[in-house]
Amino acid sequence: MAKSEIRVGGLGGQGVILLGHIIGKAASIYDSKHATLIQAFGPEARGSACSAQVTVADEAIGYPYVKSPDYLVIMSPDAYTQFAPQLKPTGTLLYENELITIDDRLPAGAKALGIPATRFAEELGRRLVLNIVMVGFFAGVTGLLSKDAMEKAVKGSVPKGTEELNLRAFRKGYEYGVELIGAATVTG
Amino acid sequence: MDESPELVSLRNGTKVTIRPMVAGDGPALLSFFRGLPEEDRQFLRDDVTRPEVVERFVAKLDDDSVIPLVAEHEGRLVGDGTLHRTRHGWAVHVAALRVVVDREFQRSGLGTALAHQLVRRAVGLGLDKLVAEVVDNQIGARRAFEKLGFHQEATLKGHVKDIHGAKHDLVIMANDVSHIWERMEALVADYSPTAGD
Ligand SMILES: CC(C)(COP(=O)(O)OP(=O)(O)OC[C@H]1O[C@@H](n2cnc3c(N)ncnc32)[C@H](O)[C@@H]1OP(=O)(O)O)[C@@H](O)C(=O)NCCC(=O)NCCS
Repeated sequence: MAKSEIRVGGLGGQGVILLGHIIGKAASIYDSKHATLIQAFGPEARGSACSAQVTVADEAIGYPYVKSPDYLVIMSPDAYTQFAPQLKPTGTLLYENELITIDDRLPAGAKALGIPATRFAEELGRRLVLNIVMVGFFAGVTGLLSKDAMEKAVKGSVPKGTEELNLRAFRKGYEYGVELIGAATVTG
Repeated sequence: MDESPELVSLRNGTKVTIRPMVAGDGPALLSFFRGLPEEDRQFLRDDVTRPEVVERFVAKLDDDSVIPLVAEHEGRLVGDGTLHRTRHGWAVHVAALRVVVDREFQRSGLGTALAHQLVRRAVGLGLDKLVAEVVDNQIGARRAFEKLGFHQEATLKGHVKDIHGAKHDLVIMANDVSHIWERMEALVADYSPTAGD
């Protein structure tokens, strides 16, 4: 891996920043890579657009801003509308597929992989862990960072007492992601 | 995760394994319950000395509304702890805890260890509130739950009849664990005073 640029987008209250933070932490602390994180908020936190830019690289990162991401992790329709056109044509969109419908905003050639993350989070007991399901999905689909590093980053970023549910959320997303790309390679 | 057995060292040095109940535990469970003195048994919700009652517990193992743990020492069961929750309706965020420990093993921390594991699991299931029902004169049980953060929340007068026909108050003890989830909520709030692009 030379350098991977990731944009995370969603609504305030979905845990966008925490999601970006965990990817960055997994890379820099547990996988000995370099990572930068830039957060952006709309005018109000809850219910408004929110995004994070994460860059992960083997070497020190000179320019931390993500213009055209390799990976787009999207949790709300507005964030999809705003960021989908910026995805690299060789890039991958990871999206919450019960909230978002893919259309021709997505660059031709880009891959789109969906997960019913909100439903999974609710089934696990807390809608709140939607973003952690997405973290797991990201880990399973991209393989960019080791599963171990990602799990450690989840554990080290969430409040004490919530680790178990968060790890279950991570694994749910991870397994779904691994299965999905496994199925994709078999059929296509 | 956490499905694996946990080896616990009790206060007197005895080693006990706490693990999920399995289908084969029926006979051992029945002899554990039958070995309880009447005073420890009389306030349990079910008549656990009847084989069909115990069989029902074991048959319910794949029901995700009950999480049963047992404590095992040298092949014998010496403790039982269960978490009961409803999967639908107005109390989906609540679970009830029940714990029983063999007389020989009481006062050495086993009840606390069982209850502690159940509390951890309850939090892991995203639950907000835990309750335990104890009869007014079960001082030991009340103390044990208090030490785990439970407080007395309500009393149902004359709610329980013991095997001699005497009525007792049922004390409902509760433990609100929602603060744990409030911290997680704060983390996903994505709030920052630095608004920007
Ligand atoms: C309640 C029960 C499960 C506690 O199990 P245990 O293994 O003895 O509990 P612990 O050793 O962890 O005790 C924890 C604390 O509870 C208190 N406690 C327990 N038994 C007590 C007793 N007989 N008298 C006074 N306090 C007692 C003590 O404060 C104790 O801490 P300490 O020993 O450091 O002083 C056990 O007494 C039991 O099985 N009782 C019968 C069934 C029952 O009543 N269940 C509760 C309803 S769900």
